[in-house]
Amino acid sequence: MTIDELKKYNGQNGARAYIAYESVVYDVTDSPLWKNGDHMGAHVAGLDLTAELSDAPHSDEVFKEFAVVGKLERSEQISSAVQTPKTQEHQKESHELFKSKLKTWYKTYHPHPAAVHFPIALHLFSTGMDILFLIMPNEAYNAGVFYSFFIATVMGFVAMVPGILSWWINYNFLIHKVFVIKLIVATITLLLGVVAIYIYYENPHIVYEYSFEGILYHAIVIVTGLNVIILGYYGGKITWGYGRYQTLYEDSKKVLNIAKHESAVSYHDASQSISILIGGAAGTGISTLEKILSDAFKESGFYIFSTKEYMSRVRGGSNTTLIRISDAPVEAPCWSVDISIALDLPALEHMKERWHENTLVFADETFAEKKANIVLVAMKESAKKFGSPKYANTYIAGVLFGLLKIDKSSLLQSIAEHFKEDNTNKDVAESGYAEGVKLENLTLPKLPKSDLEGVKKLHLMDGTTACGFGFLAGGCNMITAYPMSPSTGVLNFMADMSKHLNIAVEQSEDEIASLSMVLGGWYSGARAMTTTSGGGFALMGEALSLSGMTETPAVIYLAQRPGPATGLPTRSEQGDLNMSLYSGHGPFPRIVLAPGSLKECIDYGYLAFEMADKYQTPVIILSDQYLADSNSMIKDVDFSSYEQRSYIVQSTKDYVRYEDTKNGISPRTVPGFGDGLICAVGDEHDERGQITEDYKMREKMVAKRARKNDELTAEAIAPEIVGDGDIAIIGWGSTFGVICESIKHLNNPRLAHVHFAWVHPLGKEQLKSLERFKYKIVVENNADGAFANQLKLHDVKIDNQILQSNGFNFFVDQLSVMIEKSLKEFS
Amino acid sequence: MSSLFERENVDVAWCPGCGNFGILKLIREVLEELEVDKKNSVIVSGIGQAAKTPYYIDVNMFGVLHGRALPVATAVKLANPNLCVVAEGGDGDMYGEGGNHFIHTIRRNVGIVHIVHNNMVYGLTKGQASPTSQRGFVTKVQVGGVVNEPFNPLAVALSLKAGFVSRVNIGDTVHAKEILKAAFRHNGYALVDILQPCPTFNNTNTYHWFKENSYVLDDTHDSSDFNAALQKAFEFSPMPLGIIYQDKSSRDIFERSIRGKDAKPLHAVSHDVSKIQDLFNSY
Repeated sequence: MTIDELKKYNGQNGARAYIAYESVVYDVTDSPLWKNGDHMGAHVAGLDLTAELSDAPHSDEVFKEFAVVGKLERSEQISSAVQTPKTQEHQKESHELFKSKLKTWYKTYHPHPAAVHFPIALHLFSTGMDILFLIMPNEAYNAGVFYSFFIATVMGFVAMVPGILSWWINYNFLIHKVFVIKLIVATITLLLGVVAIYIYYENPHIVYEYSFEGILYHAIVIVTGLNVIILGYYGGKITWGYGRYQTLYEDSKKVLNIAKHESAVSYHDASQSISILIGGAAGTGISTLEKILSDAFKESGFYIFSTKEYMSRVRGGSNTTLIRISDAPVEAPCWSVDISIALDLPALEHMKERWHENTLVFADETFAEKKANIVLVAMKESAKKFGSPKYANTYIAGVLFGLLKIDKSSLLQSIAEHFKEDNTNKDVAESGYAEGVKLENLTLPKLPKSDLEGVKKLHLMDGTTACGFGFLAGGCNMITAYPMSPSTGVLNFMADMSKHLNIAVEQSEDEIASLSMVLGGWYSGARAMTTTSGGGFALMGEALSLSGMTETPAVIYLAQRPGPATGLPTRSEQGDLNMSLYSGHGPFPRIVLAPGSLKECIDYGYLAFEMADKYQTPVIILSDQYLADSNSMIKDVDFSSYEQRSYIVQSTKDYVRYEDTKNGISPRTVPGFGDGLICAVGDEHDERGQITEDYKMREKMVAKRARKNDELTAEAIAPEIVGDGDIAIIGWGSTFGVICESIKHLNNPRLAHVHFAWVHPLGKEQLKSLERFKYKIVVENNADGAFANQLKLHDVKIDNQILQSNGFNFFVDQLSVMIEKSLKEFS
Repeated sequence: MSSLFERENVDVAWCPGCGNFGILKLIREVLEELEVDKKNSVIVSGIGQAAKTPYYIDVNMFGVLHGRALPVATAVKLANPNLCVVAEGGDGDMYGEGGNHFIHTIRRNVGIVHIVHNNMVYGLTKGQASPTSQRGFVTKVQVGGVVNEPFNPLAVALSLKAGFVSRVNIGDTVHAKEILKAAFRHNGYALVDILQPCPTFNNTNTYHWFKENSYVLDDTHDSSDFNAALQKAFEFSPMPLGIIYQDKSSRDIFERSIRGKDAKPLHAVSHDVSKIQDLFNSY
């Protein structure tokens, strides 16, 4: 059955209760643990609970007792996010495999909970008996105390071993208050136990005496009783959720150590890459073709970068997608391409300007003529032979692989994964491959060397996905947004994630509601965000101002596209910086971030939530269509390295929302968390949150908000600088990859790349690193040079600017030429 | 007189004789009599004289922007469905500036009590017509008298299948209290449109006028009859008061649909990092 069909079996209103695990559907209706389709108040029936099991205190053995009533058909979306165990095993190394087996064993037998209750009970018994003994000393009570204490200590050692085992396999030796306390208290308890036993053995009569040893003995027996209560308490905390740990502003160190990109772009002149451009009408499967080829190339061991340009329509028009394969990591596109595949005549025309003299062009005989560099391929006819025109794309994929003489197994694997229901595609691809191999007398571009080992360790994804993971790492548990290109991808991602994680998702009626809901969410304790583009953000101005005045956090993902007004809705530009800086009436602190690579998307996505919570301020995280839709590769990311902090305090009866503090940050609480009440207000207010027009109070509050701004400016992250030269090529956000590669391509030791991902507020410390440069050139994908203007506002001299506003981000070959031209104006 | 829900040390900004005083007292009494836990209650209000009411009530409050109380209240409730959430404001705030949110909040059936102070004028900004002002009402802006059709909140709410639609007159506090209590007890969205006078800027719709132009619904009106309710919604001379429509059957409530039965406050929710790791590793 499908997911939708499964939903009906939720155990309510007479329906049976079914749940799915690993594509098998079980009938749990008759289980006492699934009354009315509700399981322990944590899960409801009618769902696929595969991903939930890792959270459960039991393993999958529990399914053995249920009747199987069907199989679950997975949609492509779900299967891409949640793996079946087979693929997991395939990718994990043997160490990880061992660990996951151990984890399953642990969850089945629970050795630590099984053992630890003995020492807890025995210590408590021993303590109780000792108190009785102290009231009425006699040998019977003494024996009761000692023997139970002895066994308690022995069992303490026994229980601690699986406890440490659990800390390893379930929590990766996470250093967290809970584990540190348990370790210390357990160790102390065991040591004290040994000491007390030793004392007793030396002289059992000591228990009746008022000597040092005697008192020490009794003290230890009683203290260890208290210790096990503490151990039990924290044990419970681990099991039933500790969640975010409370951080106080005074002792919260810097939130994130953003590491420099580890030669993310190590592409250099000796590297080899092939750029393949595919063009066709919308709705003809180009993006599917892009996915198939990207996955196939990755399987073949090539580093990949892909990007797309598409028109604002669902059918027709002319779209292109570019796939660049290389022997080293690449993060930028080329304007001139080596291979061009036209799926229809408009595409052929559209792509002409991308060809250089050696470009191989593939087109179908039905709309093209055999010319100098055009290779005719019978795409449509072959597709028809196999039964449907939709096979044309699979056919050309085969031709491409055959032409380049890449082993076809990776292509076939990719096709099998993408077209699970239709085996014909395999035959089509084979046929195309055979055709491609036969093509002769062509000047082929040099195929890059493959690096299977290196590529295997990487993950292929786009900026949308990476930002999404960043927001998850930052604890996002609410998203309220209005769909708008090119930001909708993140809304879709988070909505998909809500099937596996606790995230409240709502599509709002307009962008004003979007941001208003975000504020309501944070007020009530959520970590909420919205997504939008320039036009939608324009509607959020007043609410942004409200965020600033009420000091309610907000996270806004703004994926830019060319404006003004509707502009080029599906293309890219870095045109909304000024609006991000100045939107929202009245001055108030805000942060603007602009990641430029996949890793930064994750780091800064996380940072956005942390900063918003810590400084109770709106954070705008800028992306654009190019970054959102381009795919590149990222190394493993350890999500446990993103600390789960919370800046919410528990309130007391005298709580005031806007306490005037030294650093300007007033401790924030949420309704129902403590004895206090919160008054958050958009009017100017006093410390209680009551409206005031008193001019002295106004000055106080303005100063408080300004102090907050100073505090957060001190946290501004300095730009990443690569290169020792004296000429800085400065960029921000999505131009990271293309500037990096252009500089490498120019091979001029005087050039250094300066990349800003923290864009506002710019702090003195942050800009200090620019002082060493003799010349500064700012590269921006817009027409107004907004970032250069910001630097100038901060007394940074800018010598030249390279701007582009045509719907495309920069291309390596073109930008290199532009930079070279710009340099000529100095030297 | 002091009550449990009276906030101390506040400077009440209303004109003498303002209908808001009555509504303020009414809400405080209702909260106290229903034994509502103030720590777990939130009143969200926008901008206007009506919107100042929660400043004088000892509960959690969030004073937002003109017309935007409803989306904020929706999210407050969504993030913590255990809270008692009220959205309060005037007719301009709720039916004018916030008109779009009025429509969609009802569609969602968010579990909040929606209190609208309906005085048929803009008081805070000194006397312009409001969406509910009657035709012919003369102001400094509508110098020839209002020409637009007055907004009909009851009919709009009913057309969107709101589960609790009511109107009261603050001039009859006993009846108003009974209806307001019913609204708090209702499971899901509840609209209470409270007719009140603005003695400073509206000399037409006074206490006397409201009394003469309204009547209290009695048992002859079946509040579970949708068609009967629709008819009542279009009655104006006189206007019916009371529960025009109430659907007591169980229907989907927004926060329950989104959050499910397990409705922990979101500040207590954090993600299992190992799950995020697994999802990431699948790419």
